[in-house]
Amino acid sequence: MIDASDLRLTIDGRRILDGVSFRVERGESVALVGANGSGKTSILRCLLGLVPFTGRARIDGHDVVREPVAARARLGYVPQKAAFGDVRAVESLAFVARLRGADPGGIPGLLRLVGLAAHAGERVRTFSGGMQQRLALAVALLGDPPVLLLDEPSASLDAEGQHTLAAIVARLRADGRTLLLASHRREEVATLTDRVLRVDAGRLGRPAPGSGRVVALEERRGGRP
Amino acid sequence: MRWSVTMLVAAREVREAARSRWFGLAAACFLVLSLALALLGLAGAQRSGLAGFDRTTASLLHLVLVFVPLVTLSLGGLGLAGELEDQSLSMLLAQPVTRAEVYAGKYLGLLAAVGAAVLAGFGTTGALVGITAGGDVRAFGVLVLLTLLLAAATLAVGTLLSVALRSRARVIGAAFAVWLFLVYVSDLGTIGLAVARSLEPGQVFALALLNPVQQARVLGTLALTDRLDVLGPVGLFGRDQFGVAGLVGVLGAALVLFTAAPLAAGYALFRKAAVP
Repeated sequence: MIDASDLRLTIDGRRILDGVSFRVERGESVALVGANGSGKTSILRCLLGLVPFTGRARIDGHDVVREPVAARARLGYVPQKAAFGDVRAVESLAFVARLRGADPGGIPGLLRLVGLAAHAGERVRTFSGGMQQRLALAVALLGDPPVLLLDEPSASLDAEGQHTLAAIVARLRADGRTLLLASHRREEVATLTDRVLRVDAGRLGRPAPGSGRVVALEERRGGRP
Repeated sequence: MRWSVTMLVAAREVREAARSRWFGLAAACFLVLSLALALLGLAGAQRSGLAGFDRTTASLLHLVLVFVPLVTLSLGGLGLAGELEDQSLSMLLAQPVTRAEVYAGKYLGLLAAVGAAVLAGFGTTGALVGITAGGDVRAFGVLVLLTLLLAAATLAVGTLLSVALRSRARVIGAAFAVWLFLVYVSDLGTIGLAVARSLEPGQVFALALLNPVQQARVLGTLALTDRLDVLGPVGLFGRDQFGVAGLVGVLGAALVLFTAAPLAAGYALFRKAAVP
């Protein structure tokens, strides 16, 4: 479902990713763990085509550089810091629904799912960080994409928000969604993912000790073995 | 590039501009200044007996040449830079859209917002002048079209600044510097060069072609009068070289080029840009 091969990324002369390769199979839930600045978010940005990288990244067989629209139609993305501009929550969802050709009739249900039904008509700029994060999750679920990329999704959530998020992600996982989750939180990694990819200075390394239910590790540098 | 997606992005840009206090203030200022100039023009017309639209158009041309570049350079500059800075652009580009669709949609949306503000300002002013004084509405219509062309060109320059500098603070500084250059420094520089280097009128004319504000100034003057001696030897050179119709064509083409070139350069940067 996600196939990354020899991802290399250099920004302003600094090597950010250095030959990262991995696969995530359909229905798998995989965690990216690593220190701040190790390259977790950059891997997600490569998969989204947000940064100019070398190597190859495919989502459900679609190359993210050559077929960006087809690749991103299969992706939902929850960024570390969600930002929406000066719009109301429901407008933000309606806009993305139209971009994705999704049924806008599903918007109220998504707002209920993330606990924002009562705030649908409010300006997003008045939302707390946690509310914006929950809205980002609702946006990511529009159009029912089979793959979700989650970048520290619970970073700005309070305990209740984290619990809600964990429940939603667990349900998505049970539904067979493919998940790639960048996270620092061990319990999140342990409960929500099948295996862990540790990122260290732009490379995939060995499993982080005590990182929960680490089932397997893929380590392929500079292309497939 | 899918036109429907571009239009969706453009429509969102128009909505956001309509909610922006800064844009609302600029549009209100434009309306008030247009009306004030029209009223002053009408007051003068009652004394001198000049036709309403002609006098008003001449006054408004100066307003357009100063005000429109200031607003559009800032607006274009803040557009993508603001979204790069607050990271909302990554949310948009994570959707099934191409960068060309986003870039074109944002530019067209901002241009539509500016166009609406210009039409509202000039529409109100035109109605006032038309009802109270009358006169040659053709020159006024040309001024409206010219304003939109100038807005398109300077908005494109602002968009290029936005992509190149990627930060609101840097863009605002650069937009102000470019505005000063286009509106004031370029004029003085051309005069200084012409005197210091004893430039031929043809060379001065070529220098004028490098500035969209100058292009709009000459085109606006042509709309008001075919006596290009008011523009000095440069205007006479242009008329003698190309004829009035040819001069309009050359200056119009230069304005279009000044829109297309910065837009293309901005897209070349945006297509490869790392989006935080």
